[in-house]
Amino acid sequence: MQNPNPPGPQVDLKNVYDAIVVGSGAAGGMAAYVLSSQGMKVLLLEAGKQLDTTKELKSLEWPYDHPRRGEMPPGYHPLGMNEYNVRNPPYAKDSKYPHVESYVQGWNGPDYSKNIVVDEKDHPYTGTKYAWVRARCVGGKTNIWGRLALRLSDYDFKAKSRDGYGEDWPISYADIAPYYDKVDLYLGISGYKENLPYLPDGLFQRPVKLTASELKLRSELAKMGRVLTPYRAGVTTDGLKHNKYRSKCFGRGACDRRAGGCDIHAAFDSPTGLIRPAMDTGNLTLRPNSTVYEVTVDPVSGKARGVNFIDTDSGKTYEARAKVVILGASTLESARLMMLSKSSQHPNGIGNSSNHVGHNFCEHIMGPGINGLVKDLVGKPRTLDDGRPGSFYLARFRNLKDKQSNFIRGYGFEGSSGTTMIPGNAFETLGFGSSYKKAVRDYAGAYISMGAFGEVLPRYENAVSIDPDVKDKWGVPVLRFNYSFGDNEKKMAADMAVSAKEMFEAAGIEVVSVNREILTEGWSIHELGTARMGNDPKTSVLNQFQQSHDVKNLLVVDGSSHVSASCQNPTWTIMALAWRSCDHIADELRKGNV
Amino acid sequence: MEGHSRRELIKIAAAAVAAPAIAAASVEVKPLFFTPPEFQMLDELTEIIIPTDGHSPGAKAAKVAVYMDKSLSEAFEDEPRQKFREGLKLVDSLSHELNHKPFLEASPKQRVAVVSRMAQNEKNPKKPVEHFFTQLKAATAFAYYTSSIGIHQEMGYLGNTLQTVYAGHDASEAPIHLPDSSK
Repeated sequence: MQNPNPPGPQVDLKNVYDAIVVGSGAAGGMAAYVLSSQGMKVLLLEAGKQLDTTKELKSLEWPYDHPRRGEMPPGYHPLGMNEYNVRNPPYAKDSKYPHVESYVQGWNGPDYSKNIVVDEKDHPYTGTKYAWVRARCVGGKTNIWGRLALRLSDYDFKAKSRDGYGEDWPISYADIAPYYDKVDLYLGISGYKENLPYLPDGLFQRPVKLTASELKLRSELAKMGRVLTPYRAGVTTDGLKHNKYRSKCFGRGACDRRAGGCDIHAAFDSPTGLIRPAMDTGNLTLRPNSTVYEVTVDPVSGKARGVNFIDTDSGKTYEARAKVVILGASTLESARLMMLSKSSQHPNGIGNSSNHVGHNFCEHIMGPGINGLVKDLVGKPRTLDDGRPGSFYLARFRNLKDKQSNFIRGYGFEGSSGTTMIPGNAFETLGFGSSYKKAVRDYAGAYISMGAFGEVLPRYENAVSIDPDVKDKWGVPVLRFNYSFGDNEKKMAADMAVSAKEMFEAAGIEVVSVNREILTEGWSIHELGTARMGNDPKTSVLNQFQQSHDVKNLLVVDGSSHVSASCQNPTWTIMALAWRSCDHIADELRKGNV
Repeated sequence: MEGHSRRELIKIAAAAVAAPAIAAASVEVKPLFFTPPEFQMLDELTEIIIPTDGHSPGAKAAKVAVYMDKSLSEAFEDEPRQKFREGLKLVDSLSHELNHKPFLEASPKQRVAVVSRMAQNEKNPKKPVEHFFTQLKAATAFAYYTSSIGIHQEMGYLGNTLQTVYAGHDASEAPIHLPDSSK
């Protein structure tokens, strides 16, 4: 495995690049890779810093070898659930702590990701409650992602045709399937074939295994027509011969401490999976610490000319120019950037003649879940249950053949079971003394839990806009949220808790607790839909190739292009779409059509 | 989600931030925040919560009190420190009430009686000393189960090392035949 850290930037701003890509996460990383590997000269601008991942990621560090057992130094404060629920943003305003970070820092080993997630003090936002997790660094959120790599199907792309709500996507599964295949083969994915039309299989590498309790739940759920499948992980479990920066997975354990990343890069991250290979083509220039605040416009043609950006170290501003500008700054940041890019040709913000930029904002609702006990496993010998990239996924089962009376669309569950490095039940087991120790030990491997991710319907009124009165550390106006869950989501969430209980009971798993509470908006970190694709320029922002209807040389290749959220995690779809669109724009560039 | 709320609980309990333990045995340590008698009391309390037994060494051996003392000494806010100090005073008062002597002068059996009383409403603590027990226990459990003794000797954790195959069962052991599983 070679050192994954790229060399320092050498940027010639007099150059007119073939493409400028804004953002280096899943979307921007893929755009940079696809275009540079086709011979295009690409400038990749990342707002955040370049982390030295050889120092940053400490996947095998024992808690007792860390000076604070994984906790952050004094003065760092991770926002808690209550803070998001009782206060309104900006959450770090007037905080007594020098550093305030998002809730992801509350996970296992927050110190391991404190340099990845932004400091809320520098990056405020306003409006309604929203747990907005941002990672400003090369690779963005792919450095800390949950790794569940799922495909969407025509149950998602053509959902309107099925239930009448919202809009169909301008593509169908057949259009994107070849690109899902490319992503699978290029980045590696672990999974087990199930032949489900509503959760298409990928080109899977070695699947993870199931614990005894997961296998039991799988058998029982099959009788109900539901499918619990080994975690479909964006992790190479057999290795990738074409990528010298990534090792195959060695199932070392403590993968639930994923906020710290994977130091052998078996788990996909954009820096080793996409950016380093792209740099090896000689066609990619990466410039970190470059916060783009405006897409510039050619005064004659009205097309995108390039971008203005701030060097976050020096505070100096620059313009970079290109034939094509590709935004992959994240669903909300790309929308912010488009709305900030006002000109006489685009008074509403670039690519926003439809007034749909920032609107139709959707995501996944989270919270309801269940914790259960498999009594047969109490007191059984120790097994290694967290030595795998993930545990299990329970595919959607609502509104497929059935029709629920009070909500449309569906939800799936992510779950886990068995032993972990630090036994969670130690904090819930009552008593003290030797009997307490024994109970913790005997029961540690016997718990199984799962939590749901449900589709949030896109609604025009759920939106972000620019707040002209509040600016971030670099003087750029921030986003104002006007977003909340609706009736369909709340009814779906109620059903999640009911169905979870029903399934555990059917499987003979003792129900320890059922969680019915909905987590604050944003919790799933799956923001989608603020610049949706569509065939009608009046009601959509982008065409099926993520190209702006208004400005042909502007693409938006991140989650903002999604027409609906589905209930499947979006990262794999973001990358498949970006690949497809960049193939298309490369063709257009070659033909001189841009 | 589960991990998150657990973390929060621990934080409330101890503002869980600390530096590595360097002393050979916790009783020989010069505490950074607590007075020596307070530290000794904390050391004894953690050992009652997680004792050395036939299975593995307990909280004293794992230097749980050393970790807690370091944590509190560098905590960003003063409140958790002072709350902990007050908690120890409440334990002494309870010992006076039950045993007519301070906690450290009580017999091992009498000390356990004090902790039993503190723990009697663990699920739904009401009195301040009962609240203190839940904080003390969460902090003790965190420091113990993240220690080398806790992870290896007590829990026998098998991971954090290279594995050639994933442990567990193949999904094919539970075959699924759904009516709509053919496209």
